[in-house]
Amino acid sequence: MLKKEQSDLLTLTGPGTAGGRLFRCYWLPALLSSELPENDCPPVRVKLLSERLLAFRDSEGRLGLIDEFCAHRGVSLWFGRNEEGGLRCPYHGWKYDRTGQCIEVPSEPVESGFCNKIKLKSYPLVERGGVLWTYMGPADKQPPLPEWEFALVPPEQSFMSKRIQESNWLQAMEGGIDSSHVSFLHRGDLNSDPLFRGAKANQYNLKDSRPVFEVVESPGGLFIGARRNAESGNYYWRITQWVMPSFTMIPPRGDHPVHGHFWIPIDDDNCWTWSFDYHPIRALSPGEVAAMRDGKGIHVKYEPGTFRPLANKDNDYLIDRAAQKAGRTFSGVEGIAMQDASLQESMGPIVDRTKENLVSTDNGIIMARHRLVRSVKALTDKDQAPPGVDNAHQQVRSAAVILPPDRPFIEAAKDALVVRAGTSHASV
Amino acid sequence: MQSESARAASAAEARFRIDAPNSQPRSIKVIALDRPSEAIVKRLATSVWGNTSFLTTLASAPPRDAPFSMRGWLADLAGHTKILVDEIEHADLVVMIATAGESIESTSIIGEACSLKRVMTTGLVVTAPSVPAAELSRSLAQLRPWALMLVVASAEDYIADMLMALRA
Repeated sequence: MLKKEQSDLLTLTGPGTAGGRLFRCYWLPALLSSELPENDCPPVRVKLLSERLLAFRDSEGRLGLIDEFCAHRGVSLWFGRNEEGGLRCPYHGWKYDRTGQCIEVPSEPVESGFCNKIKLKSYPLVERGGVLWTYMGPADKQPPLPEWEFALVPPEQSFMSKRIQESNWLQAMEGGIDSSHVSFLHRGDLNSDPLFRGAKANQYNLKDSRPVFEVVESPGGLFIGARRNAESGNYYWRITQWVMPSFTMIPPRGDHPVHGHFWIPIDDDNCWTWSFDYHPIRALSPGEVAAMRDGKGIHVKYEPGTFRPLANKDNDYLIDRAAQKAGRTFSGVEGIAMQDASLQESMGPIVDRTKENLVSTDNGIIMARHRLVRSVKALTDKDQAPPGVDNAHQQVRSAAVILPPDRPFIEAAKDALVVRAGTSHASV
Repeated sequence: MQSESARAASAAEARFRIDAPNSQPRSIKVIALDRPSEAIVKRLATSVWGNTSFLTTLASAPPRDAPFSMRGWLADLAGHTKILVDEIEHADLVVMIATAGESIESTSIIGEACSLKRVMTTGLVVTAPSVPAAELSRSLAQLRPWALMLVVASAEDYIADMLMALRA
């Protein structure tokens, strides 16, 4: 249970909100690089943290993320002409550069300098690891560029996708740290999905559906350890990383690529689910990339020409009751991503947390909320930067390890939980 | 036409969710396993809680040479001895609070009793950056066999948030 005022603190992220201020401390994934593939390509509408923006790549390849609407009469610059170093409004020809500075007002004498008085709000947009990142906070607080491992490995070792999720970001993110649902909702996929199957560790998951959890605060967020019985009295540990505000990295299986997410608010009722897969020391195989493009693992198939999943609430997520009855899927929805999203969207745009009945195994969720609320308050009251901004907090890895029963994972797997260049993830 | 899922997931439809209690009060026992934790539990107990009792193991642990008994391991915060099995028999959850580095010898007896009575257990270790990792590990090792959920928190305010989240 969470009080409504605390839920509001975290779920509302528009301008002027406390939760919005928290998100505006971080570099956020805004677009895939492939959405702006070349200089002077069509601009792309972007809504983030309840702000309508427009992204474009100008004639020299420079990236801009500016207010979507022309300062003159308020038309959408999505209709604009991206040409000769700026974006020109097709209505009366006002032109803006990538910083939002108006550089031409054709109806006014050039000598008047009127255009210098017009500037749209803009945010920095930088390319790293196939993603265009933005920072929407105050310029004097802009942190160093993000240093997530998946974004720093060579491009052939990494794959990123995104999908619209029609729910508030928090209930989506909470699904990512709710390790106990895996044994039910996703049980059909461990042995069938090409990005999971074949790992020895899958047998531990399938044999022991009642893991025991340990939740430990980390510098940037949380370690969430799920422990299952292994051979000879040892434990099989799966350690998930959560880094504030909304990054998760799921423990690896065998030599499969490692995956994780960001959940980024579009507005209070919708979010982007970003899903990455990468391998720290080898290129992804053509088969792996094909599976990811085909919506396997944590990725989805799309409605053509969009980032909306093909299975969505308008078609009841293509639910297959026969598959559910036969046990091929637990919920009747196919694919890990949409199994999660369908249930999280069914909660309504923002779930009423005053009515929930959490149990002890939900401590990961409870602790994440606790840290988020604490960080929002420290930011509001003391202007204290939240965890996760520091690049050191981003140098993390998830891990899957077998340990003797008397060894705590935070100590025994300490090295496995941070980036070690040139090594694989610790995996079973 | 809108699909059933699309209509049902809308904010407009959320207005028609049944507004009635969907659970009964839980019985939660919060037990301090060491002296610093006892102080934490005493502070927690000053807030208003539902069906939650705050207990300690300190004052009432039987002498080492006494015959084994599940009696007399617990006391309430006023120092009155409580019978362990009676206390946990009808509990929905037992939360054991420990402070990293402190001796928590009574963990096993409480854990054993919870195991016997099939009561869910959560172990919560409060630690500070200054506590050596080995001491934290020792506390965790003592709790691990008996806690179905184990949490390491850097500050005691988490306990109140956790109890509230669990509708204590």
